[in-house]
Amino acid sequence: MLFLQVIVGGLLLGAIYALFSSGLTLIWGMMNFINFAHGEFVMLGMYVSLLVVVWLSGGPAAFGFAAAVALFVLGVIIYAGLIRHVMRGPMLAQILSTFGLALLLRYTAFFIFSANFVSLPQTSLSGTIDVGGILMPLAQLVSGVLAIVLTVGLHFMLTRTTIGSRLLAVSEDRNAAMLMGIRPNRMQALAWGLSAGAAGIAGALMAISYPWSPSVGETFGLTAFVVVALGGFGSVPGALYAGLIIGLIQAISAFWLGPIYKDIVVYALFVALLWLRPQGLMGKA
Amino acid sequence: MKKPSVVRPKILLLAACLLIYPLVFSDAFYRDIGVTFLLAAISASAWNIVGGYAGQVSVGHSMFYGIGAYAPLLFYQLWGWPPMFGIPIGIVCSLLLAIVIGAPTLRLTGHYFSMATIAVAELIRIFTGTWDLVGAAIGLQGPAVARGWWDLTFRGELPYYYIFLGVLAVLLYVTYAIERRRFGYYLGAIKAGERAARSLGVPVRKTKIEALMLSATFTSIAGSLYSIKTGFIDPESGFGILISVQMVIIAALGGAGTLFGPLVGALILIPLQTATNTWFGGSGSGLTYILYGGIIVLIARFEPGGLFELWERIAPARWKSGHAA
Amino acid sequence: MKRSCLLSATLILTAALFGWTSRAGAVDAVKIGIIWPLTGNAGAAGQASKAAAEIAADIVNNAHPELGDLPLAKSAGLPNLSGAKLQLVFVDHQGNPSLAQQLATRLITQDKVNVLMGAYQSSCSFTATAVAERYGIPFMVGESAALNITGRGFKWVFRGTPIATDYARTYMRFFADMKKQGKKIGSIAIVNENTDYGTSVANSIIDEAKKANIPVAIRIPYSASSTDVSAQVLQLKEKQPDVVIFISYTADSILYMKTMRNLGYKPPMVIGDDSGFSDPSFVPAVADVAQGVMNRSAWVIGKPGSTTYKINEMYKAKTGRDLDDTSARNMQSFFALADAINRAGSTEPEKIRVALTQTDLKANQLMMGYQGVKFDKTGQNILAATYLIQLHGKKYELVWPDKAADAKLEWPMAGWAK
Repeated sequence: MLFLQVIVGGLLLGAIYALFSSGLTLIWGMMNFINFAHGEFVMLGMYVSLLVVVWLSGGPAAFGFAAAVALFVLGVIIYAGLIRHVMRGPMLAQILSTFGLALLLRYTAFFIFSANFVSLPQTSLSGTIDVGGILMPLAQLVSGVLAIVLTVGLHFMLTRTTIGSRLLAVSEDRNAAMLMGIRPNRMQALAWGLSAGAAGIAGALMAISYPWSPSVGETFGLTAFVVVALGGFGSVPGALYAGLIIGLIQAISAFWLGPIYKDIVVYALFVALLWLRPQGLMGKA
Repeated sequence: MKKPSVVRPKILLLAACLLIYPLVFSDAFYRDIGVTFLLAAISASAWNIVGGYAGQVSVGHSMFYGIGAYAPLLFYQLWGWPPMFGIPIGIVCSLLLAIVIGAPTLRLTGHYFSMATIAVAELIRIFTGTWDLVGAAIGLQGPAVARGWWDLTFRGELPYYYIFLGVLAVLLYVTYAIERRRFGYYLGAIKAGERAARSLGVPVRKTKIEALMLSATFTSIAGSLYSIKTGFIDPESGFGILISVQMVIIAALGGAGTLFGPLVGALILIPLQTATNTWFGGSGSGLTYILYGGIIVLIARFEPGGLFELWERIAPARWKSGHAA
Repeated sequence: MKRSCLLSATLILTAALFGWTSRAGAVDAVKIGIIWPLTGNAGAAGQASKAAAEIAADIVNNAHPELGDLPLAKSAGLPNLSGAKLQLVFVDHQGNPSLAQQLATRLITQDKVNVLMGAYQSSCSFTATAVAERYGIPFMVGESAALNITGRGFKWVFRGTPIATDYARTYMRFFADMKKQGKKIGSIAIVNENTDYGTSVANSIIDEAKKANIPVAIRIPYSASSTDVSAQVLQLKEKQPDVVIFISYTADSILYMKTMRNLGYKPPMVIGDDSGFSDPSFVPAVADVAQGVMNRSAWVIGKPGSTTYKINEMYKAKTGRDLDDTSARNMQSFFALADAINRAGSTEPEKIRVALTQTDLKANQLMMGYQGVKFDKTGQNILAATYLIQLHGKKYELVWPDKAADAKLEWPMAGWAK
């Protein structure tokens, strides 16, 4: 029973990892662009949720939606104002730009909301349900299910719709796509919006069970990188599998080896896997 | 590959400025900023060999920096050795690590290599934090009071300044020498395109490993200098990801893959950090980082090639490198 | 030629930029340089302590006759320095030990401070105190966990707060008391965050538990940035200890309480080691699931009308939050420092240092529950002590030691409503 509880906990955790990583993998894969500010998007999603709860006393549906929309807009603005310009520059300038952006976003939140820790008041998603002796926190269960739905939805959109094929066309060959009448800038702005929006929802879901301060983004950022690299850059299903696997590994190693070793195990497996299969689990060779 | 030719009078003037700086600004705080600047320039220049010239963007160089930083204080704590004895030990360990890590990771390209280096550095950081022999989370301290000059524990900043300056001069000379040798051309070829380099007969694997080893050596020395000067090391200040990121930022800011790029980057970034912290740090409002992050974003947006490139563009032709002064 | 000119011009400009910070110290003020993390991961703790130090300076600088025996409260300024005021200079070390070293240098050589205080993280206290020692400036360590910050043979370093061994002994005395009352304490578990603070305190508790013959069922170090702690809680559930001691920061302590509720795990007693459990965000976040949780604190707000109550009101008016134990201990250290400067009757570092060594504050002169403030040869306050408090409803009440208690200890803890 204890074993099953550990497994379930790991999978629920992994689903959330998958959710906030799916946005990162989207732009990483599409534009070959590392976004160091992705964790900050999650953090901003959390604060948007707090504002909706405090000012409008909205429930999870309201603040989840608000976080997604707000971050979608922010993603598009950031693309138009910054990314569009540095994208064509050297890789180092890209690293520089999103690293600077991460600091800027983190400390703007710090300036506005102060360094104090905050958490959401009770919502309709607080509480636990008992499934045959396995306890599942409602918030995590909903996040997990939603993460899987969103990730599958994103994958479906990319592979089965016109917008998706346009997005992929731009990532395959920008010039050829342009000749086909696709506007690369619009497509890529859309990708940034989707990426940030997914991070925003992830933030809203995390906020239900997790207290935070402006520096919380750092924690999420590094995990997301590992998930994305493990899943294969650009592979949305890869991020889902990798997220679940990492969640599971963390839970199992934290339980049997001790929590400080969980990251050691994850990173060691990660390095080993990169060596054996550099393109990641689902990446194209 | 662009190769700035060195014009002696300019170099001499630069050297003179760096030499007299601590004498003109004799206040301990200014000297300390000078020392911080030199250390940042050394680390970034060391990173530049593999990250700039060879184009292998490591974001885990803190693994070498941290080993270099731990070695002097570890042997001081264990057996009371003068910290500087740890410098060569740190170098040897860093070289071993460079070989062990380099062999598998250098097969990776682009972002995969960056990610792998981050993962290795994080592994070492977490592991160090659990290892009691090296002080675990609490860290190690150096001698509080020097037992003799050989402890390199000085009351003032001046001796550190000149030691660091000497190391920087050696490193820049080594980089300069590489630029003009075949090794330098190999690095440039690898950066331009690995497949093409291989077809031209460049020993890609060997060259990359050698570049990483050279880079690791000087990064390790930078770490040793840091811990000897600070007299303290813990996992975060040795192996923290921010240390790696700072090397990348400084090199990128000034111009990666150029001889003086990291120096210029450090000359911009360190005063910027210090100034923003001096003006806004005491208020604790976070303005320090808003300004700092904002300026980094602006530079990346408008000068993606680094500030060194800006200078090359706006300065009148006769001032530029390659033209006799 | 010109590129080097540019470089040198930048060097000179840089130096000039900082020129304005070098102001001559006013004769009628005593400058206290305070080094804390105001940004970065420990930013919240630094900011809270900064507000506390500002209140303390206000209490010393202005007449506050309502604050009873608190030294220097009645008068405006420092009477022995003809009413000189305290002037605070805050700097932000961002949790970076090398920056702490540089800032200590700046405060001493540029701002010409008379005394220093800081630095929260042990790493930064190590490096900043070394600078103070080198320049011969008294340094008051308000709060830092590592044991060997004092006891390195430094002459100029003092620490007003109790340290990890004091806490560990307090817990053991408490357990001995409980055993006498017939409570079962077969084994304890220790859950500690794995940086300097958690590691130092956990090590001390394990040492003392060994001496007191209390078996430690399990020790779980973890990283405070964990986003999920269910594995830890399940480990505890498996080991069934009678008491779990958490040495945790804010987000993780809240997460532990919520996860324990979610996984239906309730040990007979949970003791939080201050820090996260004292953060003003803790109680509102977990009051409904963590009833009866105990916490270490030397700070108690007290009854309306008491000195401590009034101090808390001042703090609340400034920040909108209750004063927490960490900031309060920093504040107490600040008062001890101000008292020494006044007794020195001078801003000369050596005189202040001597005055600090002669410090002898009695319990009634303090805002904290110490037995007094008196420094031993290493600079450690030997009369520092701590209380244990327990969460009843939406506030903590003092429950141990008995003679100071103003509420009854509830054992086992209630946790959450059925």
